[in-house]
Amino acid sequence: MESQFLLAKAKDDELAVRGECGGAVSALFKYLLDQDLVDGVLTLTRGEDIYDGIPTLVEDSEDIISTCGSLHCAPTMFGDLISKHLSDMRLAVSVKPCDAMAIKELEKRHQINENLIYKVGLNCGGSLMPITAQKMIEVFYDVDPSEVVKEEIDKGKFIIELADGTHKSIEIDELEEKGFGRRINCQRCELKIPRNADLASGNWGAEPGWTFIEVITEKGKKLLDGAKKGGYIEVKTPSEKAIIIRGKIENAMIKLAQKYQEKYLEENYPNIENWDEYWNHCIKCYACRDACSLCYCKECDLEKEFYNDEDGVVPDPLTFQGVRMSHVYFSCINCGQCEDVCPMEIPLAVIFHRMQKKYRDKTGFIPGVSEELPPLFSPEKE
Amino acid sequence: MFSEPKILGFCCNWCCYGGADTAGTARMQYPPNVRVLRVMCSGRINPAMVLKAFKEGADGVFVGGCHMGDCHYDAGNYKWNRRAKLIEDLLPEFGIPKKRFRFEWISASEGEKFQKTMEEFTDTIKSLGPLHRSFPKMSNKSPMC
Ligand SMILES: Cc1cc2nc3c(=O)[nH]c(=O)nc-3n(C[C@H](O)[C@H](O)[C@H](O)COP(=O)(O)OP(=O)(O)OC[C@H]3O[C@@H](n4cnc5c(N)ncnc54)[C@H](O)[C@@H]3O)c2cc1C
Ligand code: SF4
Ligand code: SF4
Ligand code: SF4
Repeated sequence: MESQFLLAKAKDDELAVRGECGGAVSALFKYLLDQDLVDGVLTLTRGEDIYDGIPTLVEDSEDIISTCGSLHCAPTMFGDLISKHLSDMRLAVSVKPCDAMAIKELEKRHQINENLIYKVGLNCGGSLMPITAQKMIEVFYDVDPSEVVKEEIDKGKFIIELADGTHKSIEIDELEEKGFGRRINCQRCELKIPRNADLASGNWGAEPGWTFIEVITEKGKKLLDGAKKGGYIEVKTPSEKAIIIRGKIENAMIKLAQKYQEKYLEENYPNIENWDEYWNHCIKCYACRDACSLCYCKECDLEKEFYNDEDGVVPDPLTFQGVRMSHVYFSCINCGQCEDVCPMEIPLAVIFHRMQKKYRDKTGFIPGVSEELPPLFSPEKE
Repeated sequence: MFSEPKILGFCCNWCCYGGADTAGTARMQYPPNVRVLRVMCSGRINPAMVLKAFKEGADGVFVGGCHMGDCHYDAGNYKWNRRAKLIEDLLPEFGIPKKRFRFEWISASEGEKFQKTMEEFTDTIKSLGPLHRSFPKMSNKSPMC
C-alpha cells in the first residue's frame, strides 16, 4: 500500500489538550472502544510521577483521558504482556517501534493473533531509564526530580517543566556524552518510525496541536476513516515542506543511530576478559529471559538439568547466556529489556544486538520488520 | 606437552557414522582422540549441544552429516548447515576460536574422507593447544576425561 500522510487532531477538547500532540491517538482509542471494535486498549498511565509508566488495560472509553500524553522515562514493553495475558482479546495498543517489533515476531510465532489487534504506532526518538532520568535532572538541571511535572523531547533537547511553569532544557547529545540521556539500546535503534504498525504517529512534521500520522496498512486507513466519519478526529493534509522536514529528521536520527552502533558495538565493545567478568557476576535470576519477548517457551532449556551447573555457582556463560543466545539472538529486536532488568548490570543487549547485526548482514533478516521468520527456521532446502 | 586433545564427533547415523565404520572395517587408522557420538541426523544437533561439549571440556567439536541432497529425512542437513553458521559466530563471543569447531559432509562410503578429516582436525586442535577458557568458574570435572 502506498503510504499516506496526514495531520490529525482529537475533536474532543479535553483529549486534544491532554494529548501529547493533537490527542489523535487517544481519540482513535476512544472511537474503537465506543464502537465496540475492540474489547480493550493497552496503553500507559502515568503513576506517581513522570518516571512511572504503568501498563494499563482500558475497557471503558471514559478512562482514555487518563492515558493521554507520552512518557519518555517509561521504557515498557507490550509484546509479551499481550502474548502472555491478553492474547484472546480484541485489542488496540499504542506501540513504540520496539513494541511493534516484538509483536510482529510474536505474531509470526503464533503467540499473538494479528487479526485481533490494532497497532497504533508512536514514532520514537528513544526512551530513558527512570533512574537515569532522575539523576540527570538532579545533576545537570539542578532540579529536584520530584518537582518535575512534565517532560518532553523536542528538537534534540530533553525539556522539563516545573510546577511554576518554568522550563529547562539541555541538548540530549550533551547529556549522552556524559553517560546520561536515552537508554544505550535506544541510541543504537534505527527504527524511528514504526512502519511495522498500522499507523505511525508523531510530532515530527506536525503543527502545534496536531499529530502527524503516516498511514501504513489498510487496517490503519480504515481506522482513521472510521474515526473521522464518526466525528472523533479532524484531519488535514500536511504541507510538502512538513513531509520533507519529517523525512530529514528521520534520516538524521538513523545516521546518529548508526554512529552509536559503531561506538557501542565496535569501538567500545567489551573484550573477552570484560565479558568474562560480566558473566561472572550473573546471579542466574532469569530476569533477562523473563523480560525477553522472544523467550516465550513454556519449558525453558536453561532450567533443564542437562545444562545446569552445581547450585550456588555462577552459571557457565556457554550453557547459560550462550544457550539463550543460540535460541534467540538472530531475532533480537534490540529492545533493551534484558539489559534493563539485569540486577548485575550486564550489558546484555550489546552482545545480542551485535550478533543479530552479523546475522542480518549475512541473511538480510530484520527482526520485527521482515515478514518472514528468520531463515534459520526455513524448511526449504537452501 | 599437549598431545592428546579431546575431540567430540557428532556423526549422523545414515552417513558419517557409516563413514567411520567404513574406515574402521578397512583398517584405516584415524586418531583415537575423536570420541564419536552417533545421532540420527545432523539436523538433530543444535548449537546448545556444541556449547555443552565445550563446557564439558572438549578441545574440539566435529559434526558430520550427509551430503546436500542425501539427507535420510529430506532436509535435516540443510537445517544443520544454517545452525552451524550460527555456532561459528557464537563461539568467538565466548573466547572459543571457531577453528575448534568443524563440520563436514561425509557419506557412508567415504571412509577415506572420514579418516582424512579426523586427521586434519586433530592436527588443527593439536596446533591450537588445549582449550583454556578464561571464564573463572569453569568446571574441571569433565565426563570426557
Ligand atoms: C518514548 C517516546 C518517544 C517519542 N519520540 C518521538 C519522536 O522522536 N518523534 C516523533 O515524531 N514522535 C515521538 N513520539 C510520539 C509522540 O510523542 C506522540 O506520542 C504521538 O505524536 C502521538 O501524539 P497524540 O497527541 O496523538 O498522542 P496521545 O493522544 O497523547 O496518546 C499517546 C498514547 O501513547 C501512550 N504512551 C505514552 N507513553 C508511552 C510509551 N512509553 N510506550 C507506549 N505507549 C505510550 C499513551 O498511554 C497514549 O495512549 C514519542 C513517543 C514516546 C512514548
Ligand atoms: S535479547 Fe534483550 S534486547 Fe534482544 S529482544 Fe530479548 S530482551 Fe530485547
Ligand atoms: S532461553 Fe531458550 S528455551 Fe529458554 S525461554 Fe528462551 S528461547 Fe525458550
Ligand atoms: S538478568 Fe543478569 S543476573 Fe539475571 S540471569 Fe540474566 S544475566 Fe544473569
